[in-house]
Amino acid sequence: MSETFSIYLARESGLHRLHPLTKLALAGFSMVAGLALPGLWLTYAAFAVVMLPVAAWGKILGAYARAVWRLLLPFAVSLLLVQGLFWTGGTPLIRVGPLSLKLEGVIFAVRSSGRILLVTGGFLLLALSTRPDALMIALAQRGMPRSIAYIVLTTLQIVPRFQAKADAILDAQRSRGLETEGNILRRVRALLPLIVPLVLGSILDIEERAIALEARGFSHPGPKTSLLVLADSASQVAARWGLLAGMVVLIVARLVAGCWA
Amino acid sequence: MIHVHDLTYRYPGQSRPALLDVNLDVPAGQFCAVVGANAAGKSTLCYALTGFVPHFYRGKLQGTISVAGRDLLQTPPGELAGEIGLVFQNPFNQITGARFTVREEVAFGLENLGLPREEILSRIDEALALTGLADVADRSPYALSGGQQQRLAIASMVVMRPRVLVLDEPTSQLDPVGTREVFAALSALAAAGDTTVVLAEHKLEWLAAFAQRVVALSGGQIVADGPPREVLTSPEIKGCGVGQTRYTQAARVAQRDGLVPADKPLPITLQQAIDFFT
Repeated sequence: MSETFSIYLARESGLHRLHPLTKLALAGFSMVAGLALPGLWLTYAAFAVVMLPVAAWGKILGAYARAVWRLLLPFAVSLLLVQGLFWTGGTPLIRVGPLSLKLEGVIFAVRSSGRILLVTGGFLLLALSTRPDALMIALAQRGMPRSIAYIVLTTLQIVPRFQAKADAILDAQRSRGLETEGNILRRVRALLPLIVPLVLGSILDIEERAIALEARGFSHPGPKTSLLVLADSASQVAARWGLLAGMVVLIVARLVAGCWA
Repeated sequence: MIHVHDLTYRYPGQSRPALLDVNLDVPAGQFCAVVGANAAGKSTLCYALTGFVPHFYRGKLQGTISVAGRDLLQTPPGELAGEIGLVFQNPFNQITGARFTVREEVAFGLENLGLPREEILSRIDEALALTGLADVADRSPYALSGGQQQRLAIASMVVMRPRVLVLDEPTSQLDPVGTREVFAALSALAAAGDTTVVLAEHKLEWLAAFAQRVVALSGGQIVADGPPREVLTSPEIKGCGVGQTRYTQAARVAQRDGLVPADKPLPITLQQAIDFFT
């Protein structure tokens, strides 16, 4: 079982060394571009020309391509089926019995899939190449409440613990004769003796966790420091402003084009 | 360093006080053990010495508590971090979960206190060496054994250099190996001697090895207080469910059967037992 509920891949690369906020800005830009770029193929082109080379630079191309593929495929297939088969009116391409695939539906599915590709592609790149704690520390340094950073980071680590605890409770209940296999009704009935100890136990743990955090100075007044050093540079600051400006330009251009059309 | 005067405390919704007329003075640098049966008030005393009673648990408190020159009744626990440390039973719940390696986990408290990075780094190495965790510094805290996790909890407190460190049964959820590891870390801490330590613990033979003083609690009251050998062999302690070390038990049998003169002081450590029987 993995220690952390995170897809981060540790590599020695220039992408990994970038400041988390620079990669967050790139993800934000990619999202805006995905939603704003016109035409059918521009989003795919942008993905191929920008995102894939950046992933290759980060030495995570294979994992990145797999992650994008796995995320995109269910969307693309369902879009193609639902929009292609059930588009009202439109030009039929192929007919199979009472069903027909419509050209307009296919175009819509291709365009939407391209948008999803860019919107998720940027954030996957961020998640694969950035330690979650580095991102949270960077955001906390920019004024995000530290309790939010704490909640996000503990969740990443506690989810696998929670699963392990659920497995242990399930084993314990099974060894006392609880039936957990069979039809849906039986499985739903088996859920209660699993959930009650899991939830109650976790609520009791909260008290101890709160005390442990206080003892470690979580609410100690005064400025905080960080062991993790987040290297930043003037060029990265400039790049972030550039990406931000790019987002504004894309949004404005899209709105203007929308008004004309 | 610790001054507790006429302390009586009741948890909210409880009719019986958890602590009753407790008076305790612990000088700086002393290693003081607290023994007692379950529900004798050990944990409550630990929480009272760290400000969580009454600030976190509320309830009704009379008397005064002053630790490291601070009036605990006026100071919230958040401000005491770094001055008074607390380690408790469950190793798992003491890991913050917000850091991904042992080294960073130890650093968490110092980051909160706002110490400069160089200072944090040198202090971490010291704390990891004291607790024998230097080899696992770059592993995930969740990949450690129970004994290692509990030593991590101790390292995370020691690194903040508290003037007083309170430990509430730190080995109660550990196996014998984990227990030995934790006590090795505690004896290293005791040998360093600059921290005042209050340790609530069941395992008498371990305590006997290096506690300078033992306080016995029963029903929320202090029933015996003094040097370990005196307290752990005293008649008062027999009635309060603490038990005796196996050395004391064997010696009592030998004295009862007339094998050893009745006026010989009872042993609580292996070395004392050897002297007793030879």
